[in-house]
Order: sequence, then structure tokens, then C-alpha cells
Amino acid sequence: MPTRQRLKELMISELMLDMTADDIGDDTPLFGPAGIGLDSVDALQLVVMIEKNFNFKMADQDQAKRILQSVSTIAEALDQKAAA
Amino acid sequence: MSRNILITGANGALGLALAEYFFTKEADCRVFLGVRERRERAEELATRFPGRADLITLEITSPEAWKTALAEIEAKTGALGVLINNAGFHEDALLANMSQDQWSRVLDANLNAVFHGCQAVLPAMMRQRQGRIVNIASLSAISSPAGQTNYAAAKAGVIGLTQSLAKESARMGITVNAVCPGYIEGGLPADWTPEHLKALKMQLPMRRFAKPSEVAAAVFFLASAEASYITGTALKIDGGML
Repeated sequence: MPTRQRLKELMISELMLDMTADDIGDDTPLFGPAGIGLDSVDALQLVVMIEKNFNFKMADQDQAKRILQSVSTIAEALDQKAAA
Repeated sequence: MSRNILITGANGALGLALAEYFFTKEADCRVFLGVRERRERAEELATRFPGRADLITLEITSPEAWKTALAEIEAKTGALGVLINNAGFHEDALLANMSQDQWSRVLDANLNAVFHGCQAVLPAMMRQRQGRIVNIASLSAISSPAGQTNYAAAKAGVIGLTQSLAKESARMGITVNAVCPGYIEGGLPADWTPEHLKALKMQLPMRRFAKPSEVAAAVFFLASAEASYITGTALKIDGGML
């Protein structure tokens, strides 16, 4: 399964989102009213989810902020790590 | 599925009752009895439940000690399913006469230790997406008696921590609750005279103190699968005192 699709499905199940993968655009902001509307608790869960499922550990909060912008930014970070 | 349970302050009256309650009611659980120097009663309890009880030395005010203890538990039996922050003590004085040390010791043991414990167990509980934390607060958190500014503040802080952490961890399958016991048999200051205890009982609606097992029963329920939709609560167990 492509990384973006897998991320969306994991987000829906782990963050208990009442939506489908099709409702989440690749570049839709994850946080804030203009996007999906995730909050700081979701951010913490995302960090754990990514570590558990992709073995990718965020180095610090700044990196987490940069990566957790959208499904695309997360997927790009994961793909970069896989290619390294 | 068998669960690993860690109870701090396991050599005290309530800690022992909590452990015994879990041993009796949850046949396949394994209980880690957190102790410090005083451990003789916990050791005796452990001999009665061979293979199901482990004593673990834990200085609850040290984040490093928590890490070490949890690593030991995980190496032995896997991740912790239940944490009961029970250890604590009071050191009463009127605020006008209270030393900085008296204030700090009580805050460290009763509030900061709960912070350290919760922070230590959360990563594994988050990865498992399940967990139960029960914090033993006190009726003093609500009644705020004179002479207990340190203890009442610490225990009120425990309730605040409980409610806030409950919101942070709810979506991760982790519940965080507190209980607020009143007077418990076996947990009262040794220097209270029989006359004082008698007078105290006369003021209580039930005219008796709680049995440790009555507090343990409530904690057991909050730690059970059946309490899955209860989080952030602070349950009074006071025989109607407040």
C-alpha cells in the first residue's frame, strides 16, 4: 500500500477520526480549523503511531512540527528515511 | 490476558490491601510491590502468592528510579498494564510553623512522584493503546483541613493532574482516575489516642473508618475493563463524611 494511503488509514483508526481516507487530502493541513482539525493530543499520538508503524523516531519537537504538517510532509520524511 | 500491576507504597496498610485484592479477584495478574526500606509486610504477602508477586525497590521521587524499575518489570513480564500511585505520607504543621523542607518533602512524595510515575509508564501504555492509572489522592484534597496545607495542596494537585492527564490520554485507551479516601483503618497516625479515635468515629456518618479492602474494591473497579468509560474522575470514599 502506498505510504500516503497507509498513513491516512492509520490516522483514521488510531486517532478515531469519523471520516474516510478519501476525506483527507494529501496536502490538507492536519491541524487548525482550515484543515482536519487535529489537536495537540493527536500530535502526540501521531508521533507514537509513526514510530510504532514506520520505526521513525522524531528527533525533537522542531522536527515533529516540520513533518506533521500534512500527509504529504509525513510521507516525504518517511520516504527520505527509507532512501537513506 | 494477564496484566502486570505496579502498586507503590506496597508495604503500607492500603498498599497491602490493594495487592491482596488484585491477587484474589484477578487470578492471573502479576503484582509488583513497590517498596523502599520498609518491606517486611510486603515480603510476607509475596510469600503467600508465589510466582505472582515481585518486590521492586522504587524511590518514587526519582525519575531515574522509575526508569530502572519499569525496565526491570518489562524485562521480566512485559509492559505494565496498571499503575497505582499509592505511596505518600503527610507531615502536618500549621503553615505559620511549616518549614520549607516539610512543604517540599510532602509535595515531592505525594505530587511530584505521581508526575514521575505517570510520565514513566505512559510511553509503553501509549504504544499498547491501553492502560489504567489510578492515583490515590485523599479526602484532604477536598476538605483541606487545618494543619495540612502541604498535604492538601499535594493531593488537590493529584486530582488536577489526574483530570488533565485523563483528557490527554483518553484517545489512547488509557484511563486515569483518582480516589479520595477518608480515614482508613491501619492508616492512621500511631500517636492518635484511643479516645481521639473514638471521638473521631462519632463524627462520621457511618461511625467507623474505612476498611482498606473497601478502598481497594473501588480502585480495582477503576482499574478493570468494566470501567472503560470512566476517566478523570476523583471518587470520594469517605462513608458520607463530606
